[in-house]
Amino acid sequence: MIRVEGLRKRFGTVQAVQNVTFDARDGSITGLLGPNGAGKTTTLRMLYGVMKPDAGQILVDDVDAMASPQDAQTHLGVLPDGSGLYPRLTAREHIHYFGELHGLTGVRLRDRTEELLQMLDMHAIADRRTGGFSHGERTKVAIARALVHGPRNVLLDEPTNGLDVMSTRAVRTIVRRLRASGHCVVFSSHVMQEVSALCDSIVVIARGQVVARGTPDELRRQTGHENLEDAFVALAGAELISEEPW
Amino acid sequence: MVSRGLRQALIVMRKELKDSLRDRRALFSIAFSIVIGPVLIGFMMNRVADRQREAENVEIPVAGQEHAPAFVEWLRQQAGVTVTKGPLRAEQAVRDGMYDVVVVIADDYGEKFQESRPATVRIVADTSRNAARPTHERVRALLQRYSAEVGALRLVARGVSPAGVQPLRLEEIEISTAQQRAAQVLSFIPMFIILAAFVGGMSIATDSTAGERERGSLEALLVNPAPRMALVAGKCVAAALLAMTAVILTTTLSANIPRFLPLQDMGIRFRIGREEFVGVLAAMLPMCLFSASLQAAVSTLARSFKEAQSYMGVLVLLPMLPGMISAVSTLGQDPWMYLVPVLGQHVLVMGVLGGRPEEAWAFTVAGLIAVLSAALLIRTMTTLFKIERIVFGR
Repeated sequence: MIRVEGLRKRFGTVQAVQNVTFDARDGSITGLLGPNGAGKTTTLRMLYGVMKPDAGQILVDDVDAMASPQDAQTHLGVLPDGSGLYPRLTAREHIHYFGELHGLTGVRLRDRTEELLQMLDMHAIADRRTGGFSHGERTKVAIARALVHGPRNVLLDEPTNGLDVMSTRAVRTIVRRLRASGHCVVFSSHVMQEVSALCDSIVVIARGQVVARGTPDELRRQTGHENLEDAFVALAGAELISEEPW
Repeated sequence: MVSRGLRQALIVMRKELKDSLRDRRALFSIAFSIVIGPVLIGFMMNRVADRQREAENVEIPVAGQEHAPAFVEWLRQQAGVTVTKGPLRAEQAVRDGMYDVVVVIADDYGEKFQESRPATVRIVADTSRNAARPTHERVRALLQRYSAEVGALRLVARGVSPAGVQPLRLEEIEISTAQQRAAQVLSFIPMFIILAAFVGGMSIATDSTAGERERGSLEALLVNPAPRMALVAGKCVAAALLAMTAVILTTTLSANIPRFLPLQDMGIRFRIGREEFVGVLAAMLPMCLFSASLQAAVSTLARSFKEAQSYMGVLVLLPMLPGMISAVSTLGQDPWMYLVPVLGQHVLVMGVLGGRPEEAWAFTVAGLIAVLSAALLIRTMTTLFKIERIVFGR
């Protein structure tokens, strides 16, 4: 369960996030949808405690994330934007490293690692160094290490960006499974189809502001567009995209 | 909370060490830095020994031998001496470097010798050339001895005891030039040991800070519920441990130089025994913490991995400074030096290897200063890791 209220963040003269408010419930997938540079990544970074908001409030499972960021981080599993790996460590060692930092040891760590390798279908690559991994394999490792401590809330920043169809499907399956087991999943993307196919509720962000919120159906109704892409364009502002039909 | 942070620091340290021990290129450069010092020193020592041997077995070119056959015969009979024909233009030949020393017997030698007047023998040498010095000294001593022997014989022939004209009996206690040169070579050892510390810590210091950011793994790492201080300390200590390993190995190799070179036969005193070994490590190990933290802090400030690496190249010059200064002027042993990290350690190691170790308080002060500076650097880095501009690059 994540609650965000009146979040603001300024970089120099640019107001990157200006008043973002939304809720993300347990057992549901919340999509942050917006064009590149809309403020999705900055919003998520404030959520998982690597950026300090100028104003606003963040609650993660009723923990004030700004007052006690480390406490909030124990309840969060995070796949940051373009998350990199250590090329000389194996997939299993990545999971162990983050597990240990979360305080897991011994049998618990081993069992949890096995569970994740099983869930993400990673046994074939578990003991290979990640240096030669494909993009899809790297994303799996990054997701596995983010979930090692069994967090209730999962934040995924553009997890399917640049992935091929097979890997994208694999990621979607993981996300659905997380929802099925009662997790609160927040998922950012600039791809409409992805968000509409996956998310229970959508938060549309443009120019640092929430311009619309609701289920995919509610968004269609609000804007009067049957097609969600058109709805998005209408919400994000006409000047961003104006594609003439041909 | 503190013990949790400590545990996390250890986890980070272990991971960085494991990661870096798999980095073959980094390991190669560390191995190179460990080996290069002792090998160079061994090589230079060998040269010193060679020269010493050369000076003992001296070849003396003598020009104008026909004027003093008795003198030349005497020279030939001296141990280790070979007399060769000297060049016509002795001064030019020495200036051109064809000979180190040439002895020239004057044309009127025979005449004056007969009349018991001082006969002229010239030693032509260029003493600005280090290599020529031992030969020159040997030749001079030989000529003086001949002069004294002939003088004594003349007195005896006139019924006078030679002891009467020898009011002083000179006894030379020789601190041979070979030993001085050996000491000069040995003065490089502290520099190489400090250098090993800097090169040893370099790979982890850059890879775990600027490198981690450039790879994009830093953000994921910072999402873990660990105090920034624990992450930073783990990285710095990991780098310091590699630096310490490099120092220990370099010192061990240096201590084994006498095994491979017949230094003892040359009368060169060089020994890193157990006491010296402990002394070197007592001085150096705390400094490794400082050098590694300094490298990590500088790398954190760098905008890219490449920039960090070029800063490392500049930082490596730091351990050379005391060595260079002492090459031009004598670097004393003032107490204030112990307050300056690296310089203090240089002075301490010099003292230990020179057989005059400093007192315990000097080690303590220098060590404390190094550790405190490292702590300060780790604190500064912790602050840096909270600045968004630095975490996400600029």
